[in-house]
Amino acid sequence: MKTKKISIWLVVAAAALMLAAPGSAMAGEVYKTALSLAITGPTSDAGNPYSKGVEDYFRYVNDMNLLGDDTVDCTIRDDKYETAITKRNFEEFLDMGIVFYLNYSTGSTLALKRDFEEVEMPTLPASYHAGNIEGSDYIFLPIASYSAQNIGLAEYVVDHHEGGTPKVAMYVHPSAFGREPVKDVEKAIEAGLDIEIVETVEHGQDLDVTGMLQRWRSKGVQYVISQTVQSPVATMLKGANILGLVAQSFGEKGKITFLGAHYTGGNDLVALAGDAAENFYWTTSFITTSESSAGADAQLDLAERYGRDEKTANSHNYAAGILVAEITTEVIKRAKAKGKEITRENLYKELLDMNGMNAFYSQTAVGPVTYSKDDQQGVDTLQLYVVQDGEFRAEGKPFISEYPEKIK
Amino acid sequence: MTYFFQLVVSGIVVGSIYALAAIGFVLIYKSSRVLNLAHGQLIAAGAYITYTLTVYCHIPIYLSFVLSMILMFFLAMSVERIFLRRLIGEPIISVIMVTIGLMSIIDGVIYLTPYGSENLSFPSFLPSQPIVFQGIYISYTQVAGVVITFLLIGVFSWFFRKSTVGISMRAVSDDQMASMSIGISVPRVFGLAWATAGLTAAAAGGILGNIVGLNFDTLHAFGIIVFPVVILGGLDSLPGAVAAGIIMGLIQQFASGYLDGNWGLSGTASLLPYIVLLVILLFKPHGLFGTHEIERV
Repeated sequence: MKTKKISIWLVVAAAALMLAAPGSAMAGEVYKTALSLAITGPTSDAGNPYSKGVEDYFRYVNDMNLLGDDTVDCTIRDDKYETAITKRNFEEFLDMGIVFYLNYSTGSTLALKRDFEEVEMPTLPASYHAGNIEGSDYIFLPIASYSAQNIGLAEYVVDHHEGGTPKVAMYVHPSAFGREPVKDVEKAIEAGLDIEIVETVEHGQDLDVTGMLQRWRSKGVQYVISQTVQSPVATMLKGANILGLVAQSFGEKGKITFLGAHYTGGNDLVALAGDAAENFYWTTSFITTSESSAGADAQLDLAERYGRDEKTANSHNYAAGILVAEITTEVIKRAKAKGKEITRENLYKELLDMNGMNAFYSQTAVGPVTYSKDDQQGVDTLQLYVVQDGEFRAEGKPFISEYPEKIK
Repeated sequence: MTYFFQLVVSGIVVGSIYALAAIGFVLIYKSSRVLNLAHGQLIAAGAYITYTLTVYCHIPIYLSFVLSMILMFFLAMSVERIFLRRLIGEPIISVIMVTIGLMSIIDGVIYLTPYGSENLSFPSFLPSQPIVFQGIYISYTQVAGVVITFLLIGVFSWFFRKSTVGISMRAVSDDQMASMSIGISVPRVFGLAWATAGLTAAAAGGILGNIVGLNFDTLHAFGIIVFPVVILGGLDSLPGAVAAGIIMGLIQQFASGYLDGNWGLSGTASLLPYIVLLVILLFKPHGLFGTHEIERV
């Protein structure tokens, strides 16, 4: 009797196991990725919405089964903009078995470059510093480098300036992030770009830059190209506004036209500078939500879906976070479609194949994402925007700056 | 000459904000000999309280400004009561370490709020067109900042010279034991010094936020930027803080206007204040107006 009872239990247990087995097989694979960035501390004004863009897009991928039964598990950690913490985070991510990594700052990307090479980790940083990809096979810039952006702005100045060689001042962050693009602009000048750099100023934490603006006026500076973050640009624009120096139209004579690359602009600049941000020219590879487009709608829908506030929803840093999550998802999807195992090596190969007919079109970028063995810069296309009535409006068509190819 | 006078005006504007921020350091040092390294965080807290009252509680900005000063008065007093009162009599280095801890705590609290990672600006409440006089430009916000700063400096000067509480604070600053022997409550004076420093921090934060916008990195870094001003003026001198603030503001503007960008020079506006500070300290180790103490043994 006892043996019979045990047998029945064994049959029931076996049946339960058989029922459970197909279920667990159907649960799919979990692909581990990670992001380390400044959610608090310096530059967290950019890092915070960026992390939300990454988080929301991966949630969307999992919720909508964009990878079938498989899911992406992206661990996001705050590094407070400290490279030592980023390195510790990265080492822990490696122990977790990540197959793709998203990094943030210029400093930590440069510092961890060798680590990425050693472990052959495909990496997308939020820093678009051209130096990140020098001597690296595994770092891929999501969009045009700061150098390409600054040269693109200089080319726009040349194309739209009337009368002689335009006099330009460069206003840059006191770091590699700020300095290095100036060298590339200088190389472009040597290669024939017709601008004169009157001065390059590395800003401090100034409350007032009247002295600098007065000096520029006395030297006949007509354009200022900024390669830094929003806060010092806002201080400069406020000062220029008080002195009546801001050009009301591009290249207005006797005034200064202010321009800036990716991290100088966006809604945060308007929030800080207020009316003084009017007529500021900004370039980036991202769409903005102040211009109606399918990409803007998609970005706003995603933010609404996951309960983000209006400020996050409209941030270009949120869009930047979405883009890197999209690229990660796309390479996983492509590797899966080819029946490949999802490993660092295979995802790296998929990144290298992302060109020509295989280019990836993101809704948050103004051009296609292309990578190859010789091209580690994703979206080459840039769009110029200008602040009008407190909003960034597209100025002209998307363009690709020419001189970065010439100075290679 | 317009060029020169524009730099003078801008130097005075910047210098007066330095002076207001420096007063907070001086008030605490003057009464307790403690250097409060969390003063930048108090400035940021004051700015964000003013912003919250203005934008979310819809209180007119000038009223928010006053309310913020009152709130910060009590907040700083509480900080002294909770964290620092029990350290009276302990080595000064212990107290300074506590202010460093306080710095991290306030940073952490602000990072927990959206303010830690957002860029904001106060709603405009003054005309945006600048005042132009003889080709020299100044904004209404800058004028308001300078007027409020000098008003507060005037009030504090009167307070320390004429009011009983102010005189008690000076007495404690001179000699704690002698003050206690004539019935002055030293802990109460310490609390009041912190409270008053909180009040000035709120004022500096409100003015700074209106001029440069609200970015936490910029605001709390201001506590460090203003440090040379405090040293130059003499750690325990209110007139010294004012004079040093203006001197530093002018040096920065002149360096930026006349030196930077010429003869291959760059960044002198940031560097020169420190060089001037070192040179002055060589000749006057207690700063321009600091108390020169002679200890007889």
